[in-house]
Amino acid sequence: MRIAPNYSKEFEKIAEAYEKSGGEVSKLLDKRVASIIISGDKIIGLNSVDGVEIESGKLEKGVWAKIKILKDKKIEMPIHLCTGFLGKEGEQRVDFDFTVEDGANVKFVSHCSFPWSTKLTHKMFATVRIGKGATMIYEDAHFHSENGGVTLISDTHAVIEEKGRYKNSFELIKTRVGELKVRMDVDLKKDAIAELNSKVRGKKNDEISIVESLGLNGEGSRGIAKSTVVATDETHARIINEAFGNAPYSKGHIECTEITKGDNVDVSTLPVLKVTNDLSELTHEASIGRVNSKQLNTLMAKGMSEEEATEFIIKGLLG
Amino acid sequence: MLELRNVSLFLEEKRILSNLSMEFDDGKRYVVLGNNGTGKSTIANMIVGVERYKPQVGGVYLDGKNITSLGVYERAKLGITIAFQESVNFEGITTFDYLTLGGKIKASYNDAKRALELAGLNSEYLKRRVDDSLSGGERKRIELASILMLKMRYVILDEPDSGIDMMSLDTISRIINTLNSSGVTVITITHREEIARNGDYAYLICSGTVLREGVPANIASYYKKLCDRCDHPNEIVESSERAEA
Repeated sequence: MRIAPNYSKEFEKIAEAYEKSGGEVSKLLDKRVASIIISGDKIIGLNSVDGVEIESGKLEKGVWAKIKILKDKKIEMPIHLCTGFLGKEGEQRVDFDFTVEDGANVKFVSHCSFPWSTKLTHKMFATVRIGKGATMIYEDAHFHSENGGVTLISDTHAVIEEKGRYKNSFELIKTRVGELKVRMDVDLKKDAIAELNSKVRGKKNDEISIVESLGLNGEGSRGIAKSTVVATDETHARIINEAFGNAPYSKGHIECTEITKGDNVDVSTLPVLKVTNDLSELTHEASIGRVNSKQLNTLMAKGMSEEEATEFIIKGLLG
Repeated sequence: MLELRNVSLFLEEKRILSNLSMEFDDGKRYVVLGNNGTGKSTIANMIVGVERYKPQVGGVYLDGKNITSLGVYERAKLGITIAFQESVNFEGITTFDYLTLGGKIKASYNDAKRALELAGLNSEYLKRRVDDSLSGGERKRIELASILMLKMRYVILDEPDSGIDMMSLDTISRIINTLNSSGVTVITITHREEIARNGDYAYLICSGTVLREGVPANIASYYKKLCDRCDHPNEIVESSERAEA
C-alpha cells in the first residue's frame, strides 16, 4: 500500500496507535494484504487484493466502506482494518457494510485505537451478509485512552445464510473502557453457525453495556454468545445475552462470566432464552462475583499472593 | 515439625474434628487414612490454612510456633502446600503457565516436561489449557506435576488417586517418593489402604479424631478389616479409644 504524501505524518501517528493496540504495521503496508486505514473522518490508506472489492466515501464526521468478498474466493491473508483518531476531542463515525458471497472465506483483523483522546465518541455501525457456505471471522481489538474519555457505540447486524459461518470477537482489555455500548445481533438461516465472544475489562468508573443476540431462525442453525467481563473499582456493567430458538433442531448457548473486584462495582447479567419452536434447544450459564475461592486457594497454596493469583486468573479469562 | 495440637472444629454447629492431635516430623512420608466423611480433608484444609477451617479450639504449630492465624499464602511462604482433592479449572491458562505460575517459578520447558512425565502425562499437555477440555484425571495429574515444581517443606496430597485409574497407583508412589527423596515431608490423605502402605507412619481417622496411629502396614490392615464395615461414619468417638498400632 502507498500512503498519500500529504498523509504521511498522520499515518506515522496512526501507525503508532495501531501498534499500541497490538496491530502489526508491516501488515498494513504489505501489498498482499487488503487493508483500510482510517484517521478521523478520512481514509488515508486503502489496498485491495484479488477477490476483494472495496468502495469507500465520506460521511459527516466519518467514513463509510463497503467490502465485498467475491463468490468462492478464499482470501489467504487477513484483511486489516485500522481505525484511529488523533485529536483529543471529537466524534468519529464509521459505517461498514460487509458482504461475503456464497462459498467465500475471509478473516478480518480490526484495531481501533484512540490512546490520546480525552473526549471522543466513536460510533461504528456494521451490516454483515454472509452467503451460503461462506465463512467470515472478525476480530476486533480496541485500545482506548487511560483517562476514560472515550465513548464507544458499536452496533452490528449480521445475516448468515444456509451453512454460512460467522465468528466475531470483541476485546477491550488493555486500557480503560470509558463508556461502551455494544450490540451484536445475528440472524441465522438453515444450518448456519455463529460464535460471538466479547471480553472487556473495566476500571475506575467505566460504564459497560453489551447486548449479544442470537436469532436461530433456520432449521439446524447453531450459535454461541459468550461474554467475559472483569469489573474493578467503580465499574458499572450490564450484560444481556439473548438466544431465540425459532426453528427446529436449532441449538443456542449463551454464557456470561463477570468477575468483580472491589466493593463499589455494580454489575448485572441477564440471560434471555426464548423458544418458539419446541424442537429448538437453548442453554445458558452465568456467573457473577469475586474470583472463585477454590482457584485462589489453589494458587495461594503454591506461593502466590491473593493479588497475584487474582491477576493470573483474570489474565487467563481474558486471554 | 508440624503439629496439630488438640484441635476441634465446628462447622455450622456440627462437630467435625474433636480434640485431634497429630505430629509430622521433617523428611518423612505420612498417611492419613480413613473412610469418606471422617474429617480427613478437613485436616488437610486446616493444615494449609483455608479460612473456613481454622480450629475453634487448639492450634496449628510449625517448629513450636503457633501459625493458626496465618492464611494459605502465609503458610505457603513457610513451606506448606497442598494438592487439593478437587482440581479446579483455570480457563485460558496453559499447563506450562500453570506449572510455572505465569513465570513466578523460574523453570525451563524441560523442568515442566519432566514434572509432567512423572505425573504420567506427555509434553503435549504443556500447550493445552487447564480447563474443562481436560478430564478430571488429567487435571489431577497436572496438579500433582505442579506440586513437583515447587520447593516446599511439607506437601499434602489430598486423595491423590481420586479421578485417576487404578493403574496409576505406581505414579502416585513415584511422586511421593520423588518429593520425599528431596527432603520433603509428604502427607497423603487417602481412603485406600493400598496407598496407605506407602508411608513411614500412618494415622487412622475415625469420626473426626485419631483412632489409631503407627506402622502403615498395621494401620492399613486394621482399616481394611474393621473400617470397611463402618457403621458410625459421622459419630464422634472418644479420644481415649486412640491406640498405638
